[in-house]
Amino acid sequence: MESSTSPIIEQSRHAQVEFSGKAGEFFGIWIVNILLSILTLGIYSAWAKVRTNQYFYGHTRIEDQPFRYLAKPLQILKGRLIAVALFASYFILSAVAPIAGLLMALGLMFLMPFLIVLSMRFSMRMTSYRNVRFDFHGSYADAFINFLLLPILSIFTLYLLMPWVLKRIDQYLHSNISYGGKRLQVNNDAGTYYAAVLIIMAVVTGVIMTAVILGFVIAFLFPFSFGAEWAMVLVFGIILLYWLILMLSGAIYKCMIRNHLFSRTVLPDTASFASKMQVMPYLWLTVSNLLAILCTFGLAYPWARVRKTAYLANATSLTLQPGIDQLVDTVQQQTAAFGEEAAGLFDVDISLA
Amino acid sequence: MRGDQAVAGHFQKPGQSTLFPATAVLADDGSLKVFQQNTEHLLYECAAEDYHFASIIPGLPVELELTDGGIFRPDDASFRWPQQAAHFRLAAWLESNRLSILSAVILAPLALWLLVTVAMPAMASAMVPFVPDQVRQQMGQQTFYALQKTILQPSTLSEEQQEELQALWQEALHSLELTYDGYQLHFYQSTFLGANAFALPDGTVVMTDALVELLKNKPDALLAILLHEIGHVEEQHSMRLVAQSLGAALVFGVFFGDAEALSELILGAGSGMLQNAFSRDMEREADQFAYTSLVAMGRSPEAFAEAMAVFAEQHGDSGQSEQLLKYLSTHPATAERIEEARKAAQLYQQTQPVK
Repeated sequence: MESSTSPIIEQSRHAQVEFSGKAGEFFGIWIVNILLSILTLGIYSAWAKVRTNQYFYGHTRIEDQPFRYLAKPLQILKGRLIAVALFASYFILSAVAPIAGLLMALGLMFLMPFLIVLSMRFSMRMTSYRNVRFDFHGSYADAFINFLLLPILSIFTLYLLMPWVLKRIDQYLHSNISYGGKRLQVNNDAGTYYAAVLIIMAVVTGVIMTAVILGFVIAFLFPFSFGAEWAMVLVFGIILLYWLILMLSGAIYKCMIRNHLFSRTVLPDTASFASKMQVMPYLWLTVSNLLAILCTFGLAYPWARVRKTAYLANATSLTLQPGIDQLVDTVQQQTAAFGEEAAGLFDVDISLA
Repeated sequence: MRGDQAVAGHFQKPGQSTLFPATAVLADDGSLKVFQQNTEHLLYECAAEDYHFASIIPGLPVELELTDGGIFRPDDASFRWPQQAAHFRLAAWLESNRLSILSAVILAPLALWLLVTVAMPAMASAMVPFVPDQVRQQMGQQTFYALQKTILQPSTLSEEQQEELQALWQEALHSLELTYDGYQLHFYQSTFLGANAFALPDGTVVMTDALVELLKNKPDALLAILLHEIGHVEEQHSMRLVAQSLGAALVFGVFFGDAEALSELILGAGSGMLQNAFSRDMEREADQFAYTSLVAMGRSPEAFAEAMAVFAEQHGDSGQSEQLLKYLSTHPATAERIEEARKAAQLYQQTQPVK
């Protein structure tokens, strides 16, 4: 492997991630699957999830090669039944015996990192590109430290450590992904996470100041009309401002961090990544998606999802090394040797959605 | 290649990323041959049971998945294997047929509505009788303890007043056929609750001093409220509310769990409103229980209307705000409750012998 790295650099090629899903096409899949899921009291939702993922994976292509979603509906159903049982027992327990419910919440907190590991491993192993599967190698101990211990500790530093914890979480989630027997190398640095948080704080302060000044100007221009209606307008304005701030911060964080993370991630001898998200277009995308979903009572959801996926694909490109053409799937060999059932025991994604 | 159908596409060997432009040929006996394009070199060969057709997804080619992990993918995304059994086409057909999509647009909200408002309450009611008594006792005791520590203060009612009401309470318990025997009436002072009464699942009923004060010259009205609270316990409303809220939470989680973060806020508000709707239905049931029990005790349901009228007067309810806040409220509008009680009272009058 080492010897083959040097002479092939000039043969590397640029590839754009392409998404060819259509809103109209996905609308049919979505609404029919929802109806079937309701009529079967949720059982069919496992089949619906598989079909939906197959649609989105199959329409996502790099160099004309689609991704494939390999999970079987019964695997999804199993994970959902476990999730429903967990959720229902917690819900009932906290209603019937609040103290026992609190204890169970504590137990679930310790279970959470384990569920994240399972979920990541499942979704990676169920993803294939060029007939080669992804895999996830993160340990429970590291998940416990990153998702539970450090976030709790960072409270005692008045969240000053939180950006560093977020950096560690991203590193944990991505550097443990492997493809074709090679691990992603992630070299993200905490500085960018701190910069993102500082920029968000500055922008949010600016937006709030502008809103307050604007409010005073309006109050000054129409001093006579203060009344009950104005209180309603004020409350409405504050809710609107809150949402705007939430979406703006989300957009800034997602754009800065995704761009940074992709530029610092390499699959050795195979691929490097680039993400070119921009805050204002992405903010417009999320805001208009939400408004469309609201105004159509949810019917615009397929359109919004296709649109968002297309945007993210469009913002993502790769530099591929010729090694990508001769990869061998290690997951497949492993599981075949391990025996189908044993490998399947913990191949489960315990989640409701 | 005889009369067999040849399909152009790409082939990948098990677990390998190398891509071969290839042609797949399915013979009449179902056996598969894959040839490399141009060279006609045989890449792969297997019997009918060693491969299967992948699921049909609108807009995507249908792959042949080989048991050992190889893949053949047709180049034409709209190509469908004629050999694939018809029932595998059903899902994709429903998802792309205009008529079925249109019916789903209409039926899905309707089915969701029926699931949440009819099927789930019915299931909850069917399940609740199987809940052991210990569970409702535990639930009642823990809640009562928490309330005593927080919003309830000792009563300042005189002993005669309390004894008078306890007598009324005992009369109610003795003259009604109740399925449960853990009923207990307590008095507390509470600035948080104001003039109010509530019931816990174990049969503990609490009345506030302010309520007794408000209705002190109307013993029948007080009785009507006590009967309403007994109705909550008799019909196991607490347990049903838990079961129904759980059902609603699961429905929202499964169907809308992957919706975008902010729509979740709205869904949260939706499930809150739904829970209030459940609660309003249960209040109506408890009201109904109070009317029939009043009649059983030889009193007119008018007493309940009287109690409600005093509430309305005290709160200065205006009809308009009630309309607006209807969906945010855990109780039906007071005017509606008075009207219902008066209807029950009229029925009661008609059955009485003319004096």
